[in-house]
Amino acid sequence: MKAYNWQLKREINYPYEVKRPKRQFAVVMDLNKCIACQTCTVACKTTWTPGRGQEYMLWNNVETKPYGFYPLGWDVRLLELLEGNKKTVFDAPEGERVLGWKPEDMDWMYPNIGEDEVNEPVDIGTVLESLPHPIWMFYLPRICNHCTYPACVAACPRQAIYKREEDGIVLIDPERCEGYQECVKACPYKKTMFNFVARISQKCIGCFPRVEEGLQPQCVITCIGKIRLMGFISPPEEAMPDNPIDFLVHIKKVALPLYPQSGLEPNVYYIPPINVPIKFLKQMFGDGAEHAVKTYMAMREGKEPELQALLHLFGSTPRIPYSFAVGPKEVIAYDEKGKEIVRVPLVEPLQSRPHKDERLEVVRQDIP
Amino acid sequence: MIVIKFLAFGLLLLSLSFAQELISKRVSKTTLDPFDKVWDQAKEVEVPLSGQAVTTPMKLKPTVNAIRVKSVNDGKYIAFLLVWEDKTQDRFHLVDAFPDAVAIQIPYKPSSDVPVTMGDKGQRVLILHWTASREENLEHGYADVSKIYPNAVYDWYPHATPPHKYPEDWANQYALSYIGGEKVFRKNTLKTPVREIVAEGFGSTTWKDIQGAEGKGVYKDGKWYVVIRRAFVEENTSNPDWGPGKATFITFAVWDGSAGDVGARKVLSYSWITLKVE
Repeated sequence: MKAYNWQLKREINYPYEVKRPKRQFAVVMDLNKCIACQTCTVACKTTWTPGRGQEYMLWNNVETKPYGFYPLGWDVRLLELLEGNKKTVFDAPEGERVLGWKPEDMDWMYPNIGEDEVNEPVDIGTVLESLPHPIWMFYLPRICNHCTYPACVAACPRQAIYKREEDGIVLIDPERCEGYQECVKACPYKKTMFNFVARISQKCIGCFPRVEEGLQPQCVITCIGKIRLMGFISPPEEAMPDNPIDFLVHIKKVALPLYPQSGLEPNVYYIPPINVPIKFLKQMFGDGAEHAVKTYMAMREGKEPELQALLHLFGSTPRIPYSFAVGPKEVIAYDEKGKEIVRVPLVEPLQSRPHKDERLEVVRQDIP
Repeated sequence: MIVIKFLAFGLLLLSLSFAQELISKRVSKTTLDPFDKVWDQAKEVEVPLSGQAVTTPMKLKPTVNAIRVKSVNDGKYIAFLLVWEDKTQDRFHLVDAFPDAVAIQIPYKPSSDVPVTMGDKGQRVLILHWTASREENLEHGYADVSKIYPNAVYDWYPHATPPHKYPEDWANQYALSYIGGEKVFRKNTLKTPVREIVAEGFGSTTWKDIQGAEGKGVYKDGKWYVVIRRAFVEENTSNPDWGPGKATFITFAVWDGSAGDVGARKVLSYSWITLKVE
């Protein structure tokens, strides 16, 4: 069946009729700020994958680009399968439902491969003076993209995977799953994983118990660098300028999908790292990479005050921001009902304290 | 295209092998031992199998092409001996690894009009599915982390007791139902290597409420010898219309784990075989 993919601006083949969910779970990640501290990974693992058979599973992982992968070579192999973007993963060979490849168990055992490795060897004394950097690397944190056209849903012969209508989160039904691993083969991002003790496949659940309570996922709220924001994205023709995700993705177009050429319309969006050459960013995030980098750099020069204000909301509240407003000195986030959930000053308030505390008669050590 | 070739071949087999008949010999006592002398009394039928090419994902390059079947019954229980050639024995269900398996399918209504492709809406079939991984769990203990990855080191499983059961009052109630709840535990700890499922069309298989089927599988000299046994009538649950003196239909499917067979990737007989129970 034909389905319209707004990221590719064309129709794709999908085996089921898809109605867009009432609301679509979406996350924006600012790759200019990720430091690969892996707090997100630990948060997710402690909450959801501390069980037997899940030892190797990282529903959230952070890999270094260009030479890191989890599982090994996942994106390189995806690009090979797509044959220079001639196909999406739904252009499957005969006898198959989805074009995919199957990782072996050892492919999952090197989550830190290539960590912190730059794109080419560096001479001693090299100084990076221009953007983009000639020697570069960046960190790519990844979760399940809760795609609009999930390959996992398409691939399961038992329809054990479903996309929720209320928030677009994609879940595997653990009672219905029999561990065929068709979804593992199909997912281009390799975010469905087989539990070899329970004999069923499992995946990122979008922290749906939190989302149902109006709270952002574990990996989002624990992010030290405040690089993540979760909200609900609207289709482009319904984009609302006061919805933080719509503003970043549809209006400023500074947040881009991951490998949109897969055809799945993934719903985790990345603000590309400005230190990386545009050619690489275009391969990973699509043609909008150049505009996104330019917009972000303009923001750093003070030319995008609303965007700059919105970035202050990242990591500022555990509640899901449905809308936001920018005041002269603050940015404010509102919940579903329009009630204020947080107010963040745009300039960090300056505190000045004397070097000696007269009352306690001690000298402060923590001020210059 | 390959798909049409397979369907044509299947239909040809349908017309040829419609004459195939499996007689379940009446004996005094059935057995779970594939090498018991009681099987000598039963007449063997060789059923040709072809790759599943009705729905994706398909088995376009099958590695098993026939199965030999015998059946005995003692009026209360019916047992089947299934023998097929497989170069490797695959006894584990792991990341990118699947177990060898075999299944028999009986329509609830003794009619060959029931689609052989696992029935259809309102036309239910009973499937008895043996896997080598269940056999392995029972014979050598549950295949847990220490068996699969003996050198793996892990410091802490909060609350999980092997194999993969979590206490009902575990604080993370969402994780409990999602990753390790009672149904998942129960699916993996059957006391028999054969599970009973019903289906009304492919893709709809569902575990039966009562699991009464028994079985045993032995791998010897490049062949699997599997016995599947079930009572004709199991209490407090639905049963197909079959029994001593009655005739119904039966068909078979085989999975070769090392060839990546699981689920729809299987070989099967596209035609019903008549099953005459003495």
